[in-house]
Amino acid sequence: MNKLFALLVAALVLFGAVLAQQTPAGTNISNQASASYIDSAGQARTTTSNQVITVVQQVYSFSITPDGTQAAPGQTRNALPGAPVYFSYTVSNTGNGSDTINLTTVQDTGDNFDLSGTAIYLDANCNGTIDPGETTAITSVNLTRQGTAGASACVIVAGTIPASATNGQNGNLNLSGTSAGNTSVTDTNNWARATATTSAALTATKSASPAGSVNPGSNITYTISGSNVGGSAASGVSVSGLSGSGILIRDTIPNGLVVSTLPTGSAGAGTVQFVYSTTGTTWAPLTAGNLPLTGNGTIAIGMFISGTGAFFPQTASYTFSFQATVPAASAAGTTYLNSATVQFNNGTANQTVTSNTTTNTTASRYSVAIGGTGATAVDGADTQTLASAFSGSTVSFNSTLQNTGNASDSFTLSLGTSTLGVCTLFQSDGVTPLAGPVGPLAAGATYTVVVRCAIPASQTTGGSVTLTATSVSNPSGSVATLLDGVDATTLAVTSVVLGYGVDAAHNTNGAAGGESGDPANDSRAGYNPAVNPGGTAQFPFEVSNTGHNPDTYTFSATLPAGWTVAFYPDLNCDGSMDTPTPAPVSGTGLLNNGSTSCYIAVVQVPVGAAPVDATPVTGDNVQFTVTSTTLGSVSDTIRGAVDVNLVAQISLEPPRTGTITTPGTLTYTHTLVNNSNQSGVCSITGNGGSFGWTYQYSLDGSTWAASLSGVSVAANGGSQTLYVRVLTPAGQPIGRTDVNTLTASCTVGSASVSDSVTETTTVVGGDLRLTKTGVSFVGTSSTVRDANAATALPGDVIEYTVVASNIGTGNLTQVVITDPLPSYTNFVSVSATLSGFSGGTVLYSTNGTTWSTTAPTSLSAGSSIYVAVDTNGDNTISSADLMPPSATITIVFRVQVQ
Amino acid sequence: MYLKRWLATGAMFLAGLVLAQGGTDIRLDLKAHRVVTVQQEGKTLERLEAALDVKPGQVIEYQLNAQNTTEKPLRQVALIIPIPANTAYQALSAQPLQLGETLVTAEFSFDGGRTFGRPPLKRKVRVVENGKEVEKEVEVKPEEYTHARWVLPELGAKQTVLLRLRTVVR
Repeated sequence: MNKLFALLVAALVLFGAVLAQQTPAGTNISNQASASYIDSAGQARTTTSNQVITVVQQVYSFSITPDGTQAAPGQTRNALPGAPVYFSYTVSNTGNGSDTINLTTVQDTGDNFDLSGTAIYLDANCNGTIDPGETTAITSVNLTRQGTAGASACVIVAGTIPASATNGQNGNLNLSGTSAGNTSVTDTNNWARATATTSAALTATKSASPAGSVNPGSNITYTISGSNVGGSAASGVSVSGLSGSGILIRDTIPNGLVVSTLPTGSAGAGTVQFVYSTTGTTWAPLTAGNLPLTGNGTIAIGMFISGTGAFFPQTASYTFSFQATVPAASAAGTTYLNSATVQFNNGTANQTVTSNTTTNTTASRYSVAIGGTGATAVDGADTQTLASAFSGSTVSFNSTLQNTGNASDSFTLSLGTSTLGVCTLFQSDGVTPLAGPVGPLAAGATYTVVVRCAIPASQTTGGSVTLTATSVSNPSGSVATLLDGVDATTLAVTSVVLGYGVDAAHNTNGAAGGESGDPANDSRAGYNPAVNPGGTAQFPFEVSNTGHNPDTYTFSATLPAGWTVAFYPDLNCDGSMDTPTPAPVSGTGLLNNGSTSCYIAVVQVPVGAAPVDATPVTGDNVQFTVTSTTLGSVSDTIRGAVDVNLVAQISLEPPRTGTITTPGTLTYTHTLVNNSNQSGVCSITGNGGSFGWTYQYSLDGSTWAASLSGVSVAANGGSQTLYVRVLTPAGQPIGRTDVNTLTASCTVGSASVSDSVTETTTVVGGDLRLTKTGVSFVGTSSTVRDANAATALPGDVIEYTVVASNIGTGNLTQVVITDPLPSYTNFVSVSATLSGFSGGTVLYSTNGTTWSTTAPTSLSAGSSIYVAVDTNGDNTISSADLMPPSATITIVFRVQVQ
Repeated sequence: MYLKRWLATGAMFLAGLVLAQGGTDIRLDLKAHRVVTVQQEGKTLERLEAALDVKPGQVIEYQLNAQNTTEKPLRQVALIIPIPANTAYQALSAQPLQLGETLVTAEFSFDGGRTFGRPPLKRKVRVVENGKEVEKEVEVKPEEYTHARWVLPELGAKQTVLLRLRTVVR
């Protein structure tokens, strides 16, 4: 409202008359105060007051023009006695509400005559003439409030000069108005004069086409016409700047209107010439070269009817017409008043007759333009183009919105379907979102609209969005049509360039950056960490955000099966693990564009990994990939070569002892275990002992050979059972002990390893042979940890099996088998089974003297378990207890490792 | 009888609610007065009448009575009287407020209360001069003001202040 007011004031200076609008009657002026404060608890709070409402009352006010007194009438009409005269008036409501103005005519008493047959007519088209359809007399006019189209009306007061009047007599008539809404509001000083004349009397009436409301930019055709209604011919007057004498019809061009075409006109007598004056006093012939003429309150245009003497006879008429253009920027409500005069000589004196006044008011035009970034907006379709932008970025467009209408207006802004991602409207500051219409904007005013579009990360083609502005007061029209209620501008980006990029590089220099360019930096010549199985290899690397937007990257790796990797931040980028060791990460976190951060990939080679010899660059076997979380297609991979060392280690266990008769045969077993990370091929040989006994070797216990070769043993704990058979010839001395050293020589990859084990065999006189084997279990479970009890961990159970066999041909007496509890073990159980006995009971003892049929449940450290067979039923063991040939006693003795 | 008592209780309950919500540590009371000038003994006197109705060109004086209803001082109390549409602020009519040692003068907004400043307020406009687009500062006339504001550093316990300004009905 304020802006509108300012505009109106400005428009008043520039163009025709615009009245400040009063607040319409009935308007509520409401007001509500508010307060914001910080309360005693430190909280910001607001509160509002009551609302006060004041109602605007109607003000009754009107005017009738032209004004005049009896002494100085506002208009004068000359006519022959008995002829009618017509006075033109304009009645205007200057109040803030609708009103009815009652009109009456008043005769003067101090003049020569009263006009007869006076009547008031409504001159709807304001042409000063009672046209067909305007012939009904009126007594009042209804007017809407000031500032609206129906606020004023033209009326014509008609009267007739009495036929008895003589030349020069006159009669005055007043048009008096009274407001119906407030009868104390009147306008009574509108006197006009009719003069009876027998000399020449020219009339002048003026019309404007169109009448009343005119659109900005359109033309008004003014026509002034009249005739000699007097009693004799009219003569001309001399006019400054023009030669000869003539009748001058002059019209001051209304302020701001532009005449750009030559007038037309004709006269019943004399010679017609079109003329103009820039001073208002001195005139010159008007030619096309003098145009256009813009009204400034002084510039006048006219028609000069030249002739000699009394050349313009009675009833001769004239007409003069010209076109004036209303400026396109004419503010709504601007009024253009115009009247013309005709100057002539009636035979005795120069006369000037003034026509009625036409009133045109500029209609409201609501129109909008949007486009461009200049001080004025581009109307019609237009495009603002940004050559290039990065995906993932936000592009910002400023567009000028302009009220191209001639009245204050608000505008709704909307965005069409976007191919530039999500677009948002902002106020001129580019920060505050735009909600609701913009405005009101004064006529001609501009406003900068900001549109920001967030281009999707994956977009790589140009796009656009259409910004449309629509007048709230006139929401119709099309973009292509200028000066209407709808306009649009296209905001486009020609090319969208991928805004994301990443470079992963080996950190070879212990600093961020400074590496060779991608992809040369993706592998690292000469860097070839070698690790044992179970070891780790480190690859320092750095990640650079080479895009144009901040981004976050994740790490992934491609590794040989069973290998794992962990990534650690390397805050100082020195390529060495920071102290203390930081927590591993799965990605970079947010990395600004142009920034680099460092990490170390730690590759864990599993226990048992086979040897690897990888050549950097050409034979890389690990790779690490850095991938954008915004755009999965943006990634970089670096590669590295990790060598795994060959670890060669075998074991041949356990050493064995046994007894043998002479001659006799005894079979031992050993286990060959390959603890290397590669399979081995082994040769098995024995040294044959010291006494020429026969030692034979087998992998299956049935096929025997003097030595074995080409024995394959799988890597990482692969085992092979080796059987060793010793054959003693007859006649060996009892008590002889022979030791055979068995050696496994293995080739593991490029390495050779060997291990040896012994079998110690003692020749016994008797025929009792004892063999002892062991099996270790995982804890107390039945899972075998080692079939030869070569390894056992604390808590593991070891089961020993002792087999006593009578390998002779006669009975053995008082056979007692003793087995000590091994050191660092606890007794678990013992049991015995018999075969080859006819009857007999197993007896147990822990001291060798006291026997029991029940197996003991405990055995103290350092003690031994005694097992024997009672065959004579005396519940003890004596020489009477016999063990027949081929009989065996099998004892199962379980202990647990402490 | 019961119903009546129940209603009374309900009404009390409602009243309590209003108090709690309006809560309002500050009670604001806005009044509109019509300024009438009268001639008396050769002097021109002003009289204020309750402005239930008004005519274009007449002057309305708005009086805002603000009271701190609490027992504690309130800080940074900003009191705002809008200039209603269809009226224009009358220059210099917003009275400064003497608050103890400090004199609080009014600030004004011409952008609907978004920003406030002390007169003269300036607005940036873009104009074309010699074919070039330049930004210029022009002074905002008092008639264009939309809000007046007084910022009190502190409003003491139970303290009352009275603010006033005048507008002309357009």
